[in-house]
Amino acid sequence: MADLLQPASVDEVAHALAHASRAKLRVAVHGGGTKVGWGPPPPADVGISTRRLDAVVAHRYGDLTATVQAGATLAAVNRELARHGQWIPLDPPSADRATIGGIVATNDAGPRRHRYGTPRDLIIGIDIVRIDGTAAKSGGIVVKNVAGYDLGRLMTGSFGSLAVITSATFKLYPIPAASRTVVIDVSEDARLKGSRHLTDTRSASLSGERPFDRLDAVVSSLLASQLTPTAIELETKPLRLLVRFESIEAAATEQARQATRIAESNGAGTTIVAGADETALWEAHERRAWEDDGAVIKLTLLPKDLSATLAWLASTGEAWEMIGRAGVGALLLRVDGDAAAQARVLKDLRARFAPGRGSAVLVRGSEALKALVDVWGPPGDSLPLMRAVKQQFDPEGLLNPGRGPFGL
Amino acid sequence: MHAAFLAALERIVRRDAILRDETELLAYESDGLARLRERPGLVVLPNSAEEVQGVVRACHEHGVAFVARGHGTGLSGGALPVPGAVLIVLTRLNRILDVDIPNQRITVEPGVVNLEVSRSVGAHGFYYAPDPSSQQICSIGGNVAENSGGAHCLKYGFTVHHVVGLELVLPNGEMVHVGGSAVDLPGLDLVGVLVGSEGTLGVVTKATLRLLRIPETVRTILAAFESTEAAGNAVSDIIGAGIIPAAVEMMDRLTVEAAEAAVHPNFPKAEAVLIVELDGSSAEVHEQFRVVEEICHRRGGTDVLIARNDEQRARIWKGRKAAFAAMGRVSPNYYVQDGVIPRTKLPEVLRRIRELEVRSGLRIGNVFHAGDGNLHPLVCYDEGIGGQGELAEQVAAEILTYCIDAGGSITGEHGVGADKACQMPKMFGAADLETMLLVRSAFDPRGLCNPGKVFPTPRLCGEVPGPYRQHPVERAGLAERF
Repeated sequence: MADLLQPASVDEVAHALAHASRAKLRVAVHGGGTKVGWGPPPPADVGISTRRLDAVVAHRYGDLTATVQAGATLAAVNRELARHGQWIPLDPPSADRATIGGIVATNDAGPRRHRYGTPRDLIIGIDIVRIDGTAAKSGGIVVKNVAGYDLGRLMTGSFGSLAVITSATFKLYPIPAASRTVVIDVSEDARLKGSRHLTDTRSASLSGERPFDRLDAVVSSLLASQLTPTAIELETKPLRLLVRFESIEAAATEQARQATRIAESNGAGTTIVAGADETALWEAHERRAWEDDGAVIKLTLLPKDLSATLAWLASTGEAWEMIGRAGVGALLLRVDGDAAAQARVLKDLRARFAPGRGSAVLVRGSEALKALVDVWGPPGDSLPLMRAVKQQFDPEGLLNPGRGPFGL
Repeated sequence: MHAAFLAALERIVRRDAILRDETELLAYESDGLARLRERPGLVVLPNSAEEVQGVVRACHEHGVAFVARGHGTGLSGGALPVPGAVLIVLTRLNRILDVDIPNQRITVEPGVVNLEVSRSVGAHGFYYAPDPSSQQICSIGGNVAENSGGAHCLKYGFTVHHVVGLELVLPNGEMVHVGGSAVDLPGLDLVGVLVGSEGTLGVVTKATLRLLRIPETVRTILAAFESTEAAGNAVSDIIGAGIIPAAVEMMDRLTVEAAEAAVHPNFPKAEAVLIVELDGSSAEVHEQFRVVEEICHRRGGTDVLIARNDEQRARIWKGRKAAFAAMGRVSPNYYVQDGVIPRTKLPEVLRRIRELEVRSGLRIGNVFHAGDGNLHPLVCYDEGIGGQGELAEQVAAEILTYCIDAGGSITGEHGVGADKACQMPKMFGAADLETMLLVRSAFDPRGLCNPGKVFPTPRLCGEVPGPYRQHPVERAGLAERF
């Protein structure tokens, strides 16, 4: 195990990196350690932990912005911001352990990205330290700002391969007053069970009888509607959608009612959940895909390709489970079975996507599986450009070597 | 221009797509920032992405610099020609290539006009959110370069939030694709860096954009206030109530007068006019609109006007969006500034601007995107009066220092371009700029792509990057700093 440094200031980070760079030591950057399984572990001579950089530097609540250090956990930051009724509306898994730096570096998000986007959509400024110890910033503390290149967005999804993030500034949102979740069961046609909610026989014949078609019909109808959900989440065990509305009380309840009508006109069964039950529902949802064994694949696709992908998975004969953002097309697929079967699913899945229309990245897998497949999948024609950027920031490849996308 | 280079260009594009005639070049000497003018070496109007690639490759092979230009509405000289360089005008790449309503995507060429995007999907109930005031004429390629915002970006974000994929020609002539139509494609977020890079990293030939569903309900209120502070307090209360309006706009007396003279929106004559628009689900909008109305009254708002229909709403927005151009009605010349402050610093910065107005003797109108602290001071002057043009420029620059002092930015949406490259060191340190230039080196190691924009150079600025130093004009006693 390499030495783990725990700098307590930006100067100490800069000093440590400058030293490592002079001594040609390979550096691995650590936050909360919630995503160490994403990609191969970097071979490192020294580790740098951001955990002591955990301050909320400023909460400018009148301006709806906050600057926070990289080592603070998302949950701790949001607890602080809640004192003024605001938050960073990100909800990736393990928010009590995942750090701001790690969430930005992986551009990780959760169900609410349907409304609020990912870290790249919320970040307005960043402070970084380059491998040679140079501290630099871009953006600022104002939401609207086009001065200079956007290094903050460049860092989102870079997996720490370009620089060490020391703090980030985000635009904030008010915490909504009320929430409702509509659980939409698409596994069987609710009307065939003699449902009392049958309202539209014409659309029943159009929506098809098969569950994946029904799923597609419900998601498409929700997207085409003027409802403003904060999340449209898929679960496959059983096959259902969790559609969340967060707003003022009157709007959350009214929109939940409207979503119910849309779902039922497509032959789905519905339940509206609120309060403690709703909280429990979402906590259980977050753990899905991660708590059971198996390889986990981060899947992105166009929303209209989701049901065909599910139907294809069902035809493979493998055991699998999928959850995620059905309205956005960002999902997690867990695949059971041995490494060879998992590898087959991953490769066939990738082959289904034309360039730019989908991706499948392995975020959890056995060593055996990682020996059989590439973690990232096909890179497209911009890889040389990404390598050129890495080369500029870290010419000797000392920072998180091999950790970045496509092994940058 | 070298004969060999010209011959290479003629093999790529039709002869009539190359403009060399002095009078023809005249039209391309400046973009929306008419104060800055340069004669391009030649103008080329490619007809396809392949032709763009051919032209850029020829530039690369012959070591000729090039500048991409859309419809030339930019306000920072981002498309200002570079002497002896090629100006690549993308207006002929104006095709909508793919509309995918179920997935809420549209793929367009860079010369497509912003408003055309919304028009082409409006019948399906969708629209493209970024709405710069110039949206009737500005191009998507230019929007991508500048990360354009608009009145509604408070709630819906800027161009960068709505671009998912780009095809671009790199400065070495290679064509690459970044992002795509699906979200979160693995890799560095090069879309995030390219949007807002002001044409310095390559030439975009296709953009895939997100489309949004037209909101169920839109409600717009206009109220007059006895001071900009009072209007600003109303804005603070609205934000404090947990409401994120679709738009919050403020105009002061001078800009209201100008708009009235130009397009007759029938705005009340007051020290400040506030426009607040809410959109979204009916239940949410109706409840929150009631709160906004109440806040406006409580903060002393008078002449409250609530748009009853789309026509009345359009009239309000016409008055706001015409504000820049309307200044021509009240002043022979005016200088449009673009700065940003944290919204809560508005009273303090406005007070400094008013003091500056008195000290300089130049009238300064103010239009703000009040929700996000983006100021557009309009400095009035008369070119016919000796020295006033230069004075206006100094006054406008001085206002930027107030923005920086308040923790803001030297540009919220117009870009740095040629206009503010020399101001960058006031906002960023040498290490920050050097780090940004690493990106530039990765994309454009030879510096042929839109040189002289965004980043300060000693040649352009007459000073080395760093903290403020006396400008040569000041040293010579020709102007003074306020």
